Amino acid sequence: MDPQLTSLVVSVAETSHIEETLDRLVAETGANYSMLLDKSGQVISAQGDTDHQEITALGALLAGTFASSREVARLLKEKDFRVLFQQGVRENIFTELINEQWMLVVMFDKRTHIGLVKVLSKRATDELASILERVKLESRSRDAVISTSFRTSVEDTIDLLFKD
Amino acid sequence: MALINVAAREIHCKIVYYGPGLCGKTTNLKYIHAAVPGQARGDLLSIATETERTLFFDFLPLDLGQVHGFQTRFHLYTVPGQVLYERTRVAVLNGADGVVFVADSQQNKLREDLASLQELARNVVDQGKRFQDFPLVLQYNKRDVPNALKTEILDHYLNSTIKVPRFEAVASKGIGVFDTLKAISKLVISKL
Repeated sequence: MDPQLTSLVVSVAETSHIEETLDRLVAETGANYSMLLDKSGQVISAQGDTDHQEITALGALLAGTFASSREVARLLKEKDFRVLFQQGVRENIFTELINEQWMLVVMFDKRTHIGLVKVLSKRATDELASILERVKLESRSRDAVISTSFRTSVEDTIDLLFKD
Repeated sequence: MALINVAAREIHCKIVYYGPGLCGKTTNLKYIHAAVPGQARGDLLSIATETERTLFFDFLPLDLGQVHGFQTRFHLYTVPGQVLYERTRVAVLNGADGVVFVADSQQNKLREDLASLQELARNVVDQGKRFQDFPLVLQYNKRDVPNALKTEILDHYLNSTIKVPRFEAVASKGIGVFDTLKAISKLVISKL
């Protein structure tokens, strides 16, 4: 990752490409929902039957799990673990790494077969990888989004909200 | 790395509270959770041991609401402070936009403070970032304990080379907690 790049700016057009990819994955696998996360735990997009209340916490936890497994890989002198599978009684979670920076997460139950999720997730991660590469390039021209007046307004809000 | 979603008009930033074991990182988050208005905060999520020591991280999402049409959110994390969890700290630090380094003011903790700050610098550099340019503020916590070192001494050992904003705090009483949070959030926003 380019260390000079401090923000990832996802445009309206690329958001809809990401949503289409996730939607198709959910539809074709019969999964409950699917999410795209960045490595810091931010949810870039979530599609399917999502409960928005829990999505933020889920993003943080799943990214944490993946970051933790990356450190395990380091200790084992393994390059990385590209896929994590968590199997529950009702829910299963399949997570696949995209270009070392992002994660595709698929939540599914017993009506969906893991093999199908694996195969179609691979296709989806390839598509998402090329979308995210474009997003990274576009993120360099972020000035249109973050203006000086925006920064001033955020600072005012911070002063208003963060007080005893 | 902050995330700016133009379609959903959302901005997300990640702030990590770093520091040695028992310095008060979780206490900071607990105070913020209790004091911030309900509509601006999510649930405080803690992955801790039975004795309430942080095992993985605490997580607190804060929502500033709409600013210039953008929903602006800060995600606060703590790392586990104990020495053995170094690789866990690396995992939590991943993609952070800014760090609050919480130092324990007690005289017998200075060595741990220093070691932890040096470890933080290493880990930031390992992520391909320049430590000098990385948004960082120091918090000298536990100013109320009898064996607290003078701030000049803490400045000398912890802040003489990096020269970042620093705040005195008693996190258990909320003193200095919001001053620290305001400073780091503004720093992070200035780097977006």
